[in-house]
Amino acid sequence: MPSLTENIGFMALGLSVIIHVAFVSVTLGVGVLTAWYRYVAYKRRSEEMEARARRLLGLLAASELMSGVWGTVITVFLAGLFPGLTALATNVLFLPISIAIIGIFIRIPSIAAFWYLWGRVDPRKHVALGFVMATSGFLIPLGFRTIFAETMSPHAIATYLASGSAPIAQAYTNPLLWVLYVHTVVAVLSVGGYMAYTVLGIHRDNQGAAGALRVGLYLLVAQLLFGPLYWLTLRAHSSYVYQNVTFGLTSPLFYLKLATIAVLLYTSVKALRALRTGRIIYTKHLGFTALFVAILGEFINDASRYPYMVVTGKEGLPISMFFNYYLDMMQALPILSVILFMILLGLGIGTFAIYLGVARKMIDYVS
Amino acid sequence: MSNVELWLRISALGIYLHATYVSLTLGIPLGIIVLLVLHSRTKNTFYLSMAKKLTIVLGMNFALGAITGTLVEFGLVQVWPGSIIAIATSALSPLALELIAFVNEIALLVLFIVTLGKTSTGKSIAIITAYWAFALLSGVLITSVNSWLVAPMGTGGVAQALYPFMPVFGEQSMDAQKLVALKVLLLATGSKLQSVIQSPDTASRIGLLITDPTVAFKGELSLASMAHNLAAAVIVGSSLVLAAYSYRHYKTGREEYRVYVKRLALVLLVLIAVQGAVFGHEMGVAIAKYNPTKFALMEKAEATFTNPIISFLAYGDPSKPIIGFDEMSKACLSSGNKTIGDVALALGLDKNALLGLASQLGIQVEEGNLDKVLSTRVADICLADLEEAKSRMSIVHYSYYTKIAAAIIALIAVGLIALHDKLPLIRSRLRIDARMTLALSIVFMVGSSLSASLGWLVREVGRKPWTVYGLLKPEELISISPLIASKAFAAFAVIFILLVNVGGWMAMYIIATRESALPTRVREWLGGER
Repeated sequence: MPSLTENIGFMALGLSVIIHVAFVSVTLGVGVLTAWYRYVAYKRRSEEMEARARRLLGLLAASELMSGVWGTVITVFLAGLFPGLTALATNVLFLPISIAIIGIFIRIPSIAAFWYLWGRVDPRKHVALGFVMATSGFLIPLGFRTIFAETMSPHAIATYLASGSAPIAQAYTNPLLWVLYVHTVVAVLSVGGYMAYTVLGIHRDNQGAAGALRVGLYLLVAQLLFGPLYWLTLRAHSSYVYQNVTFGLTSPLFYLKLATIAVLLYTSVKALRALRTGRIIYTKHLGFTALFVAILGEFINDASRYPYMVVTGKEGLPISMFFNYYLDMMQALPILSVILFMILLGLGIGTFAIYLGVARKMIDYVS
Repeated sequence: MSNVELWLRISALGIYLHATYVSLTLGIPLGIIVLLVLHSRTKNTFYLSMAKKLTIVLGMNFALGAITGTLVEFGLVQVWPGSIIAIATSALSPLALELIAFVNEIALLVLFIVTLGKTSTGKSIAIITAYWAFALLSGVLITSVNSWLVAPMGTGGVAQALYPFMPVFGEQSMDAQKLVALKVLLLATGSKLQSVIQSPDTASRIGLLITDPTVAFKGELSLASMAHNLAAAVIVGSSLVLAAYSYRHYKTGREEYRVYVKRLALVLLVLIAVQGAVFGHEMGVAIAKYNPTKFALMEKAEATFTNPIISFLAYGDPSKPIIGFDEMSKACLSSGNKTIGDVALALGLDKNALLGLASQLGIQVEEGNLDKVLSTRVADICLADLEEAKSRMSIVHYSYYTKIAAAIIALIAVGLIALHDKLPLIRSRLRIDARMTLALSIVFMVGSSLSASLGWLVREVGRKPWTVYGLLKPEELISISPLIASKAFAAFAVIFILLVNVGGWMAMYIIATRESALPTRVREWLGGER
């Protein structure tokens, strides 16, 4: 079993990944809707639609900011606490990580340009910029999800460790990757729809809220296909994770997730019906419930590897094989980690609160 | 050009471009604080509107700094993965603390943007000052990591065992035996550090490398670097603000701009004077103590010489000679026929122990190669590396003195802006109107930027041929990925870095000056205003 320090390291990394993923889910999903609303606004010359897109842009920007912060936290935790894994990933997964970095550098400036050039340039070009902004975001998981796929079902890493070399793009032939990627993309789009429902619902924009809710709901329904598909792929390619998810350590959370999805589906249908009669209900609940489902999903996905850092079929390479023993963590980490955890938790909650406050202010501001 | 040299230059390009945003991140808050103080005292809302515009530029600049910082962070870890060993040891404490600074920086900047003009000026000053404090803390922590590379405190006499002219780097808190064993195995196999540390279980097999996680904060060089680097960044960032508002004054003739430029120039004059007289001096003393090759390069000391002024400034003793490469060569030769094997043996590492460690770490080492390394004379390695250091003499020496000259010119320029009407002697001989103020502010901006850029060049090039001074070289830290060997990938990286930065600068320029300053062709291409 992992030592106390290894457990703390694993949890610190996990916590930062989960907080990061929560913000990423919002920013990527809302980004697509923002670009789409902007396009429809241009096509129909609809000021109402344009106002919707502007409202969502505020949420997108604040989420992007926070996801960036937590992305940096992950990098430091990875390199500092798991130096072996980082050294291995930056070698074998050099190309995927580069793709993710390219995605980041297209995404962030395009958000800034989209915000600033709104109303200042030809709308057609602004619409095109919106789609660059929306699609570039998906390059980031296209790169980083290879790390998750490889830690659950090593493919390129297995080839490298066995032979000392691996083709630079071999991670993209990992059988788990594409199902995980599609599952992720559909999840963030669904979360984006639900969060947009929350934002537009707060503004009493019935028509906009209904459209956003449909996006969230339909994609949640699509997950009824992609979710089980991912689960079955795990059974085929990462049996340890599958066992843990279905019957083991994380299974209670897995069933909680399924139950929450059922509740979300039910309340979504109810909210849609209410919208037909002109009422907006569950405004805040739906967005945050969808986000809770995404967070649960990520938690289950990552924690199911425990006590392994890299799962290989029914077993795996334990956390200790990648943990940082260069530093006197055995003495320093327990106390340091408790402090760090408290700070991280405080900052996590604090940044989330600021984000909510700011998102609301920004939404008001750009409106 | 070798692959290592190529990636060193690409890394330098990325770091330099990132540094421009860092300077502005640290410099603009000072400009905003001066504006808010003026607003608070005069109740003139024009100062508040100036602060608001500068805040938007700060926000955009912060975003660009975060983007390019991510690029630098990922770039360094991906291109130089051997540096992960430093992140996991000496750099872990500063980097972990830096996260707290970074998160608070963002939170306070957003708070400032959202509340500026909606809350009292006093509160706004408090918020931006708190933001500035966290930004400076972030800079302090990152500088401490870089300083450890310049003077690896905690490694004690390891470097001195190979290079007798080097100092002892603090109390030994890093395991000398393991450091030397790793170095010998890297030399014997020609491997990169990444190929060793990436193997699962390597960390637990190597075990404890460092007992003091706070080494990065220790030593005079770390403290001097923190003060010197941050002051330089604040000066450079603020110099751009000064030049921008001098231009506004020149174009519009508004009195508020003139008052602001004078106030800011006075603050900068004090800062640049302290930078030269205190921080720069302390930095020089620390370099003379910890980086003997760099100090000799700066002073072009091929041969040892005496210069009472430099000796007094560097050592506090005008009679002490400036140690040149001749003395350092003699020091190398003083190790006589001592071999690497002797150095290793003194630490309890015989050939069998090294082979045992290699086998434990899964490193394939041929006995013949290991014998060759162990029988290499320390003096030969010492002299060869000294020669390599010496090859950079011209660039380091001329950069250093150009930097000093540029700083003096900048000091005079900002001094004239700040004090000319207070000094009758100058006032009667020199008329400093809006046009002259603009010219002087540009001289100040160029001078301080040049000085800071060359200072960084001296810092980085001066410690070569090592990345970790006296211990590790860039060729041992570079990635083993085949993409790193690809010239096409290197070209792509350069174009990408330039595109991100050119785009970023354009965006900031547009925001600072509004769309009227958009170049006509760009405006046409974009389709003009809707």
